[in-house]
Amino acid sequence: MTSTLTSEVTGARKPRRERLWTWLLVPGTLWMSIFFVSALVLLVALSFGTTDELGNPQFGSTLDNISAIFSGPYLRVILRSFLYATLASLICLLLAYPVAYVIARYGGRYKNALIALLVVPFFANYLVRMYGWQTILSDEGWLLTWLRDLGVPASFQILDTAGAVIGGLVYGYVVFMVLPLYASLERMDVSLIEAGRDLYGSALQTFLHVTVPATRAGAYAGLALVFLPAMGDFISAQLLGGPDNLMIGNLIQDKFFAGQNWPLGAALTMVLMFLLLLCMSGYLRQTARDAKEARR
Amino acid sequence: MTAPLPASLGGDFSRRGFLLAGVAAAVAGVSGCAYGGDATPKADSTPVVPKIDGDLVYFNWAEYVHPKVFRGFEEEYGVKIIESNYDSMEGMQAKLAAGNRYDIIFPSALWVKKLADANQLHTIDPTTVQNAPAIFDHYDYFADPWYDPKSSHSIPFTMYKTGIAWRKDKLGDELTGSWEDLWNEDSRGKTFLLDDRDEVLGMASLMLGLPLNTAAEGDLDAIVEKLTTLRPYLRGFSSDDYNNLLAGDAWMHQTWSGDMAALLWQAKDPSIYGFQTPSEGAPVNSDAYAIPANAEHPGTALLFIDYMLRPENVKKNLNWIGYPMPVHGTEDAYETLVADYPECRVSIEDLEADLYFDGGSIDDLHARDAAYTEIKVG
Repeated sequence: MTSTLTSEVTGARKPRRERLWTWLLVPGTLWMSIFFVSALVLLVALSFGTTDELGNPQFGSTLDNISAIFSGPYLRVILRSFLYATLASLICLLLAYPVAYVIARYGGRYKNALIALLVVPFFANYLVRMYGWQTILSDEGWLLTWLRDLGVPASFQILDTAGAVIGGLVYGYVVFMVLPLYASLERMDVSLIEAGRDLYGSALQTFLHVTVPATRAGAYAGLALVFLPAMGDFISAQLLGGPDNLMIGNLIQDKFFAGQNWPLGAALTMVLMFLLLLCMSGYLRQTARDAKEARR
Repeated sequence: MTAPLPASLGGDFSRRGFLLAGVAAAVAGVSGCAYGGDATPKADSTPVVPKIDGDLVYFNWAEYVHPKVFRGFEEEYGVKIIESNYDSMEGMQAKLAAGNRYDIIFPSALWVKKLADANQLHTIDPTTVQNAPAIFDHYDYFADPWYDPKSSHSIPFTMYKTGIAWRKDKLGDELTGSWEDLWNEDSRGKTFLLDDRDEVLGMASLMLGLPLNTAAEGDLDAIVEKLTTLRPYLRGFSSDDYNNLLAGDAWMHQTWSGDMAALLWQAKDPSIYGFQTPSEGAPVNSDAYAIPANAEHPGTALLFIDYMLRPENVKKNLNWIGYPMPVHGTEDAYETLVADYPECRVSIEDLEADLYFDGGSIDDLHARDAAYTEIKVG
C-alpha cells in the first residue's frame, strides 16, 4: 500500500511544510544511531573480540566466542529460557484476557481507574518486588508456615523451583499483556457481538468466532511484549530459581561480571538476538497476513 | 487519505540513505579506537603525600564503614565524602576501566595484585601513614604480602576465610569437619554453594588435593566431575549466604566467616547455627585500601586511610561489618565480638596457610570460568 503511495507522489516537489516534518525526524534518528545502533554495532564487534590481562574487552577477529557457545552448555540453557518464556507468555495470556475483557466491557466509567490500578504496582522496581516474593515464598516464610499448618507436607517448597521462576516472569510482565489486550477489546465494535448473537451464535461461539479474531492482534502484541523481556530476564531465575532453573540471562550476566569475558557475553547476546529476530519475523509475517485478511 | 509519509522522505534524503548514514556514523565512532580507550593514566612511582587536596570520592561495597566514622572524617578535615558502591570486584574494575575517577577503593588481595601489576595504583609509603606501625610492626605477614611486595600500593583492611555453616537443629551439633559434609543426605535440597567461581572450584580442589588455582584441563575435568555429584544435593548457587541461612532456606551453606559472624549477632537464636573450617583447608582472603592512579584527590585519600586506622575507628568498623582487621590494639574488641563463636575467628596463621586465590592469567580465568559454568548449568 505504501509503495503505491510512494510512486504516486515521488518526483513532485514537496511543499515546504512537509519538508519541515521530515527534518523533525533528525533528532530521533541521531538519538537512535548514537545510543542504539552504535551500541548494537559495538556488541556485534565485541563478540569477535578478546580481553586483556585485567579482563578489559578488546576488539579482535576471533571466532572462539561464537564456537564456544555451540560447544558449551549454553544451547541447553537457551532452550530452557525459550520454554520458560513461552510458558510465561501463554499463562499471561490466559490470566490477562479475562481481566482485560471485564474491564473493557463492564468497566463503565471506572475503566481508566481500573487500568491505572493494574499499573500502579509496577511503579515499584521489579527487583524490589522480586525480593519481596523471595521473602514470602521462603521455606520458613509466612506462606509456607501457614500452608504447613493446613497439612501440606514439610518437604513442599516453592522457592528454587521452575514454577517459581515462571511465576516470577508472569508476575513481572503480565501488565504488558493486559494493556494491548485491553486496547483491542476496547476498540472492538460491541455491535459485532450483538450481530453474532442475533445470528443464533451461542455465547461461546460468538466469543470464539467474533471476539477472539477481533482481538487477535492485541494478543500477538501482548505475547511479543511478554516473551521478549521474559526471554532475557535473569532476576526471576536468580532470586526464585534453583540450580536447574538458570536462564540465558544469568549466564550472560555471569560472563559480563564475574566471568570477565565481555566478548563471550556479547556473542551470547548476539546469538540470542538472532534467535529472537527469527521469532519476531514470524510474528511480523503473521500480523501482516492478519492485516491483509482484515482488509479483504 | 493518510499522509504520504514515505514519499516525503524521498528527495532531500531517502530513508535508506538516512539509516545508512546513521550506521556509518556509528561505525566511524567505533572503529579505530580500542574498547574503552586508554583513558586510565599509568601511575608514577612517587608516593602520595598525605594532605587535603579536595573532597573524598569513595568507592566500596555498600555499608562497609560505620556512618559515625564517615561523619567524623568530614567534620575533622572539613571535606565531604562522595560515596559510590560496587557489588563485585569485577564491577569495580569495569567502572575503573571506563575512566571513572575515585580517590579510594577497597580491592581484595587478588585485585590489588592485578591493579598494581597494571600500574593502576598510586604508590603508598607506609612511613607517611601515622597509624601504619600498628599494622606492620605487629603483623609481619602484611609487611611483604604475596599480592603487593612490601605493601607499596595498599594498606590491609580486613581478613576472612571460607567454611561451612549449618543448622545444628536440623543436622546435628557436629559434622565430620570435612568439605565432604556438603554431601549430606539430611540436607539434600537445602544445601547452597557460594555463587563464586573461585570458592566453588577451590573447595573441590582442596578435596581432590589439586592446586587451589589450577586451570589445567585434566584438573578442571576432575573438579567438574566431583561437583556434578554434588548437584543433586544443591538448592542453589548464591552469595547471599547470610539471608539464605536466616530465612531457613539453607540448612548447609558454603559461607564466608564475616557473614557468619554478622549472622550470629543477627539471629534470634544463634545457638542453632554452626560454622566449621574444613580439615582439607579453608581459602583465605583479605581486603585492602588502595588509591587508583587517576584519583583526583590522592592526598585526602591517604589521610582517610590513616584516619580509618585509628584504633577507635577500627573498633567501630569491625563491630559494624563483622570482619577482623589486622590493627594492633583492636584484637580485644574482635575477640569480645566473637567470644561465643571462636570458629569465625581469622588469624594470621590462617592467612599463612597460603590458600589464596591468585587469579592466574586471563586465559586461566576463562578456562576456570567455563568449568564453573558447566558446574552451574549441570
